[in-house]
Amino acid sequence: MRRAAFYVVLAVAAATFLYPFLWMAATTFKSPAEVGGLSLLADQPTLDNYRLMWVRAPFGRALLNSMLVATSVTLSVLVFGSAAAYSLARLRFPGRSILNAVTVAVLLVPAQLTLIPMYTLIVQLGWVDSYAALIVPFAFNATAILILRQFFLQVPRSLIDSARLDGMGELRILFTVFWPLSKAPLAMVGIITFMGAWNEVLWPLLVVRDEQLMTLPQLLTVFSLGGGAGPRQLATKLAAAMVLVVPVVVAYTFLQRYFIESMASTGIKG
Amino acid sequence: MANVSFEHVRKDFGTTTVVQDFDLQVTDGELVVLVGGSGCGKSTILRMLAGLESVTSGTVRIGEREVTHLPPRERDVAMVFQDYALYPHLTGRQNISLGLRLRKVPKAEIDRRVRWAADILELDPFLDRKPKHMSGGQRQRIAMGRAMVREPAVFLFDEPLSNLDAHLRGQMRHEIARMQRRVGTTALYVTHDQMEAMTLGDRLVVLDGGRVQQMGRPLDVYGAPANKFVAGFIGTPPMNFLDGRLERERDGLVFVCDTLRIALLGERRPDPTVHSGEAVTLGIRPEDLALADAAGMGTIPGDLVLAEVLGATTHLYVEVGGRRLIAAVPSGPSLAPGTAVTLSIDHSRLHFFAADGSSLRQDGIDP
Repeated sequence: MRRAAFYVVLAVAAATFLYPFLWMAATTFKSPAEVGGLSLLADQPTLDNYRLMWVRAPFGRALLNSMLVATSVTLSVLVFGSAAAYSLARLRFPGRSILNAVTVAVLLVPAQLTLIPMYTLIVQLGWVDSYAALIVPFAFNATAILILRQFFLQVPRSLIDSARLDGMGELRILFTVFWPLSKAPLAMVGIITFMGAWNEVLWPLLVVRDEQLMTLPQLLTVFSLGGGAGPRQLATKLAAAMVLVVPVVVAYTFLQRYFIESMASTGIKG
Repeated sequence: MANVSFEHVRKDFGTTTVVQDFDLQVTDGELVVLVGGSGCGKSTILRMLAGLESVTSGTVRIGEREVTHLPPRERDVAMVFQDYALYPHLTGRQNISLGLRLRKVPKAEIDRRVRWAADILELDPFLDRKPKHMSGGQRQRIAMGRAMVREPAVFLFDEPLSNLDAHLRGQMRHEIARMQRRVGTTALYVTHDQMEAMTLGDRLVVLDGGRVQQMGRPLDVYGAPANKFVAGFIGTPPMNFLDGRLERERDGLVFVCDTLRIALLGERRPDPTVHSGEAVTLGIRPEDLALADAAGMGTIPGDLVLAEVLGATTHLYVEVGGRRLIAAVPSGPSLAPGTAVTLSIDHSRLHFFAADGSSLRQDGIDP
C-alpha cells in the first residue's frame, strides 16, 4: 500500500514536469484555433507551424551554427580539459599546486562578472560577429578540469608507468589509456558542456548581430521578441523551441547511462 | 641482454633521502633480488633503473650505455608490476602486443613473439579475454608475457606476486624463475618477502633505510649475515636474539644473559682474547635449536609456551628467563604448554653481533 502511494506521488511529480513539455510538443502540431486548449492531441495535425518558422527566419542556418558552436566548444573542453586535468593530476612540475588552487578559484568568479571585460576583449580582437567569439571564450572550462582531474587521480600509477615503458608519450597516454578508461566522466562533461553551449543566449546576443551567425536560442529569442503574440505566432515560436530542445534530448538519451554512472561515481551534482 | 650498474646512486624526495650511495653491478643474465622492509628504497631503485624516477646523483648504466637521464622508452627495459598494470580496455593479446605495435615491429614478428610467450606461459585460454575476466594469476602471466615479448635488455619485477594467494604465489615463483632462465635476460626483482628472495635470486641485496646491508648469494647471506638487521630479516621464523655479554671462563668463553649462562663450545665463537667482557647479541636460528634429553654443557632450560605443528616441522615457543625463543624441530610427540624443556644448541652455527649490530668475526671465519 505504501509502495503504491509512493509510486502515485512519483507519477504525479513526473507528470508535473512532463506535461508542459508534452503540451509544447503537441501545440506545435495544432492549428491556430486549437492552440489555446490544454489537450495533448491535435484534432487536425499540421506541420504549418514548422514551415512558417522556417520561412520567417533563418532557423536552418541557426541550427547549423548552434551545432558547429556547441560541438566545437564540447570537443575543445574535452581535449583541453582532459589535458589540463592529466597534467594537474599526474605530472610533477613546479607550480602545480598553485595551478590547482587557481582552477578551483576560477569557479568562485560569477560569469556575469567577466561578461563586460570579455566583451571588451572580443571587440579589441576584432572578433565581433565571428564563430571565434562564440567558441573561444568557452573552449576551456574549470569545472571540466576538476571533474576529470578527480577521476584521473584514481587511475593507478602503475598503468602510467607501464604505458611509459611501452613507449608512449604523455599525450598518447592521455588519449589511448585515460580516455577509454574515463568514458563516464567524459560523457558527463560532454553533456553538461554541450547543453550549456547549446542553450547559451546572453553571450551570443552580445557578440553576434549578423543574422547568418546567430545560434538557435539567440535567433529564437530575437524571433520571440519580434514575432507578435497571436495563436499562430505562439505555435510557431514553440515549433522553434522544439527544434532547440530535440538535439539535447536525443544526445541525453544516448549518453544517459554514462551520465548517471558518472554522477554516481563522482558524487558531483549536476 | 646486458649488464646493469649503479654507481653511487642517491635519491632524495624533498629533504628525505630514500637511497644512499647505492652501488650494484649485475652481470648479464643474472637475477638479482632486492629485498627489504617497506620504505627501504628497493622499489625506488628499480624505478630509477626504469627511468620512472629521477636520480638525484650518481650514474646508472645498462650495458655500456649510461641511461641516468634517459626517458623510460629509451632504456630498453620491461617491468612487471605488483598490480599487473594491464590496460583494462584491451584484451590479453592486445596488452601483450601494444609495446611492439608502438615500436612499429612488423605484424608477422609481433604474432611470432606473442605465440612464443603464449607457449612458454600457457596463455592461450585467456589471450582474447579482457583483464576483468581473468584471475589474478592469469593477469600476472599476461603481464609477464607483455614484458617477455619486448625482448628487453633487462626485466624488472616490482613485487609481482604480492597480490596473489599463497598457492599461486609459489606456482608463479617457479614460472618466473623458469622463464628468466629460459630467456636468459638480466633481471632485477624487488620483494619484501624473504622466502621469494631466497628461492629466486642468484644474488640478494638486503636493504634497510636506503642503504645496502649485505649482498651475496642467498645461502651465504643466510649462513653469515653481515649484521643483526640482515640476520633478523632473512629467515622464517626469524633468528632468536639474546642480549648479554661474553665472559672468559678458564680457557673458554661463556655467554651471560641475566641468569642464563651458555658455555660456548663450537669453533665459531668470538676470539676470547679480543671479545671477553664485551656486550654482544647472540643470534641462534630456530633450526639450530633442538630438544635435549637432559641439561648439559651449553644447553638452555625453559618452559614451553606454544607448539605450532606445521606438518613435518614444529615451531616451539619457549620462555627462557623472560625472553621467548623459537625452535624449529622435527615434529614428534605433542608437548603441552607449560612443560619444562631443555634446548640444545648447534654451537657450530651461532652468530654474534656487536653493540652496533655488526657481526663479530668468529675465530677467523668471515661473516
